[in-house]
Amino acid sequence: MIVLEDVTVRFGGLIALDAISATFAAPVSGIIGPNGAGKTTTMNVISGFLTPALGRVLVDGSDLLTLPPHRRTRWGLRRSFQREQIADDLTVRENVLAITDNLPLGRSAARDEAARAMEFAGVTGIGAKMGAALNTFERRLTDLARCVAGGPKLIMLDEPAGGLSPEETGRLGDLILRIHDFCAARVLVIDHDVDLIQRICRETLVLDFGRRIAFGPTAEVLDDPGVKAAYLGVDHA
Amino acid sequence: MRHPALAPILAAILLIGILPGLAGGQWVKIFTSTTCFALAAMGAGFMYARLGMVSLAQVALMGVGGWVTLRLNHAANLPFEVNLLIGAFATAVLGIVLALPALRMRGLYLALITLMVAGAFEVIFTAFQFPNGGAGFWGVGTSFSAPMRRPLLGQTDAAFLRYALAVTALGFLLIEAHRRTAPGRAWALIRRSEAAALASGVNVTLYKTWAFGLSGFLAGLGGGQLAASLGLLDAATFKASESVLLFALVVVGGARFWFGAILTAVLYRVAPGLLNDWGVDADLALIFFGAALLHAVITAPDGIGGQIAALFARRAPHDRA
Repeated sequence: MIVLEDVTVRFGGLIALDAISATFAAPVSGIIGPNGAGKTTTMNVISGFLTPALGRVLVDGSDLLTLPPHRRTRWGLRRSFQREQIADDLTVRENVLAITDNLPLGRSAARDEAARAMEFAGVTGIGAKMGAALNTFERRLTDLARCVAGGPKLIMLDEPAGGLSPEETGRLGDLILRIHDFCAARVLVIDHDVDLIQRICRETLVLDFGRRIAFGPTAEVLDDPGVKAAYLGVDHA
Repeated sequence: MRHPALAPILAAILLIGILPGLAGGQWVKIFTSTTCFALAAMGAGFMYARLGMVSLAQVALMGVGGWVTLRLNHAANLPFEVNLLIGAFATAVLGIVLALPALRMRGLYLALITLMVAGAFEVIFTAFQFPNGGAGFWGVGTSFSAPMRRPLLGQTDAAFLRYALAVTALGFLLIEAHRRTAPGRAWALIRRSEAAALASGVNVTLYKTWAFGLSGFLAGLGGGQLAASLGLLDAATFKASESVLLFALVVVGGARFWFGAILTAVLYRVAPGLLNDWGVDADLALIFFGAALLHAVITAPDGIGGQIAALFARRAPHDRA
């Protein structure tokens, strides 16, 4: 259970998140909204890159905001970024090990975890390839392997399908749906691709200008006239 | 190259086995100092290549290592190795202390801080000089100079060159061991982006501090060996401008490659020596270095090392740089 409680972020006079509350219970949930709605800001609060003015973030009862960012990884938080962050001068395997290095695991356990995660994401075959030599899809898959390594509890994916073809997006969607069975982590997905969100997220939060405009089962939310108005920019009165 | 580890091992055997025998007189001294500066260049190079951090205080840190090693030599009757290690560790600690204010800085601002540190040490070294066996804390006597002890295995100049080469090879191995394990992976992520490193659970403060410490350790080793090679150190060797020059040559040599540090030190020490031999003013080397730096910045971002690696990569496409 991921609980956001009145999360408020201000940048000077701008209210980037205005008392956002939501309780995600589904294995895979989504956050959508137009550009500047506050999706990535929400993720940054959960990651610890931003400290909210107000509010709490509880995941399975633990208050994440009390931990410094790098400690949240040890606790079980993983995230990917809009621009994937694969180190070019490390191999795929080393990129995954860079996560398990920081977990309280022994050396061989860390290697096993990394191997399992690479197997899951289907990158075992390119384990020795350097980051610089990877194509966009391989980079996204490596990022996913990094996210599922080492027994995570919450995985946040920021536009995981950015730059992918429809076929690759489909394969990535299948993988994301299997994450919960693989490691029991809950997944939060931000994406502009409404088809992807509709397919993989059972619950969805819709933000617009830092406010929550809808939350609930994805199909209902997407049917909401307010959501359509926010997305299409039409007046629904 | 069928096995990537083969080239460095061959180079080490060739250098340690043959160079001290071939070089005569003044050249043994020049190669020894080249070897010491290679250690410092290695430290600056890995900070730049692996973390993207520019340190312009590396030669000043060598001075610190040299100062501590000399000071201990004249103060206590410990073996050279102990003095050298204490000097290197002291320099590492100093590097770590200097890292603390620099941790929030990046790019130009970090470079400026390290440059100011180098400037501060230039003033200190010029004002107090290096210990030569005199009395008191600073240990500087005006009319005499006590001998600097050398390692048992390096009593003659040629033997000491061999000794210094072996220590430098160990320095390379130390960096390589870091590169292949958790610190190397953490550094690669920090260079990619600090946000990515944090999100991967990397303790950015710890690993950046560690890098400063390791780089300081290598500079300290280089400085201590230089002190043993020359017997005396001179403040002019460790001016801030020398730190800047060494960093510029790290870029020219190629920071991403193990042999880049050797190329850097050869440019830094051997090139002026050659000019001297030919009866040309050694300062001409500076003009040559400036041109080389422009060339590296414009056409060869990986420096001469990168160009050599590309040459080999063309022959063996599956090799990893």
